[in-house]
Amino acid sequence: MRRRFTATAMAIAALLAPGLAQAHLVVTGMGPIYDGVTHFALSPEDSLPVVALAFYAGLRGPGSSRLLLAVLPSAWFVGGLLACLSGVALPPTALPLATAVVFLAMGGLLASDLTLSTPYHAVAAIAVGLVRGAADLGGAPAEAGSLLDLAGMCVAAFALFALAVSVTLPLKRFWMIVAARVAGSWVAAAGLLLAGWILRFGAKVQ
Amino acid sequence: MSRTRLHPAALLALTISAALPAPALAHIVNGEAVGFVSGFLHPVSGWDHIIAMVAVGLWGAQLGRPAIWVLPVTFPLVMSVGGFLGLIGLRVPGGEIAIALSGLCLGAAVALSWRPPLAIAAVLVGLFGLFHGYAHGVELPPGQNALLYSLGFVLATGMLHATGVAIGLVHRWPWGRWALRAAGVAIGCGGAVFLWSALA
Amino acid sequence: MRWRPILLAPLLAALLTLLWAAQPASAHEVRPAFLEIDQTGPAAYSVTWKQPTMGDVGIHLVPHLSNGWLERPPSDQYAAAGFLIKTWKIAGAGPAPLDGQTVRIEGLEDTITDVFVRLNLSNSQKLDTVIRPEAPSLKIGFVDGSAMSAAGFVLLGIQHILTGPDHLLFVLGLLLLVRDRWMLLKTVSAFTLAHSLTLAAASFGLISLPLPLLNALIALSILFLAPEILRAQQGGTSLTIRQPWIVAFAFGLLHGMGFASGLTSLGLTGTALLTPLVLFNVGVEIGQLAFIALVLGMRRSFRLMAIGWPKPVALGPTYAIGILGAMWAFQYGVLLFGPGA
Repeated sequence: MRRRFTATAMAIAALLAPGLAQAHLVVTGMGPIYDGVTHFALSPEDSLPVVALAFYAGLRGPGSSRLLLAVLPSAWFVGGLLACLSGVALPPTALPLATAVVFLAMGGLLASDLTLSTPYHAVAAIAVGLVRGAADLGGAPAEAGSLLDLAGMCVAAFALFALAVSVTLPLKRFWMIVAARVAGSWVAAAGLLLAGWILRFGAKVQ
Repeated sequence: MSRTRLHPAALLALTISAALPAPALAHIVNGEAVGFVSGFLHPVSGWDHIIAMVAVGLWGAQLGRPAIWVLPVTFPLVMSVGGFLGLIGLRVPGGEIAIALSGLCLGAAVALSWRPPLAIAAVLVGLFGLFHGYAHGVELPPGQNALLYSLGFVLATGMLHATGVAIGLVHRWPWGRWALRAAGVAIGCGGAVFLWSALA
Repeated sequence: MRWRPILLAPLLAALLTLLWAAQPASAHEVRPAFLEIDQTGPAAYSVTWKQPTMGDVGIHLVPHLSNGWLERPPSDQYAAAGFLIKTWKIAGAGPAPLDGQTVRIEGLEDTITDVFVRLNLSNSQKLDTVIRPEAPSLKIGFVDGSAMSAAGFVLLGIQHILTGPDHLLFVLGLLLLVRDRWMLLKTVSAFTLAHSLTLAAASFGLISLPLPLLNALIALSILFLAPEILRAQQGGTSLTIRQPWIVAFAFGLLHGMGFASGLTSLGLTGTALLTPLVLFNVGVEIGQLAFIALVLGMRRSFRLMAIGWPKPVALGPTYAIGILGAMWAFQYGVLLFGPGA
């Protein structure tokens, strides 16, 4: 079990170490699609709920995984599009709080390894996609560059989801499934702490 | 709870090695890395926390299935509930005493190789977990990247459990069972020292 | 089966985005423009701007240089067949007048034209690059190669391959051709060996090809793979399908010369080039292996999910390789042999 723990820890550390997630618009000099991919890869706000959801879908089986692989990036795109085109400014604590709830929900789903019927999986994926897509594109100008940025993020979400699904999909051994659930518990715990933080210190997070 | 009060404890040398990197890194690392690093260092900066977390892992390994997996899955969640309560401003008296008590009780449970029903073990560990999380929650500093801080924090706690569970795997050998109980005695003694300094 | 239409939704959305994003492109000019800056003396430079025209209409493209050189009236301006050419003669420039400056092509974002930028400085620093409509400006970074760290060269290599869709498409094509692990190892090794050889040779100046010709050949190498993949998928066979490593080696020689353009801007020569060259190559291999790992990981994941792609989607990558290869080959072919060449 420790090896899986260490591997997860190293993966998360590697995820966090290099870029440390500027809030918005990473500029790589490689064009907007790459910027979107990079932004996604460097934002644990984006990548961790996707990994948790994918681990969960993988534990549920190939059918759920296939469905969510299509639903998640689509919802991400719609969420980003709505935020970008509407330009509606949400209260400053709303999105971080929604992100905390997403962490809590996705982590909790994985940790509990809950047996739900497939439509509920899709609902979870739509919620994650809409919230994070809206968070990523909130305040971005409604122009082609932003949309390419968003497209890059959706591609990254698609790829990360597929790769993460393939981690848990073939799992048969008991303790490896437990290791995946432990990872979910960590994501949920981080979400709960994040929620408390926002309630205490207000909007100055993210 | 003050960290300085812990330093004179018997484990001074080890405490220094755990505590020293924190201020040094805080100056070197800029920006948001600080959030992750300081979150990661928070659970490992006090020996009262460390021994209790490791004891949870040890006890889980002693109890075997299903405790060995119920604990690592639920404990971070329970602890973050405590942290959440601490963050939103709930004030609970006697947190420090409860934490010291947790080291003493968990150490004793490991030393005696106590095997209560899972529900009782879970409630006990959960209760202590609430206090640990609460103590961290009220101490969280503002002005850091909250998510990275939380992640580092959860990660460090989880790795302490994992360390305990990994050490606890020696349970399968006869000598290992005695080694575990000896470790339980050591943890219980540590808890007693912390309890003494908390009450004094 | 029920999920299939749903699976198509993100693809459709992506397609619509790209169409929407490309929609303002009013000028469908595929011939590229050129901006060449040569140092002609210690403080003297000459700038040449050559842009395509359609009939009498010049496409609205205006080059800007942030040091203000191009805001002056050009010293010479004339129209050649299909092209408009402007030159500026700059005298009395200060030391390192181009370092850190930005080239911006006004109006480029509304076209599908590429701009070739070539800088030749007397201290043997060279820049050979392309500005594309997605990012219509370029910061001239003459990194002092001798002051760059080892990690810097490796990162440069990684960035170079990951920003080169042509190289990645070619590697993707090879992966689609390869059937088993042993062949995968042979093919990737052959490609690596070949491009390392020509990367070294081109960096030391032993071999060189004009950039448009090189790009045209690379485009043809990509175009070449598409029908072979299709044939393999339909159960046919050919030398390429049986021994893909031969193709990987042969075309790898071309791609290596393409990689070299990432190093020449550093102005390093002789033995000073040796270590950077090795590190840069290591970076290229890291980027390439990461890409291969991603593709194989995705393929494994799709297999585990038991996705039976609808036929048009399954053929998508192959057609993308073919279409893009053909488009680039046409674009550079026109440049080489078309009007004004």
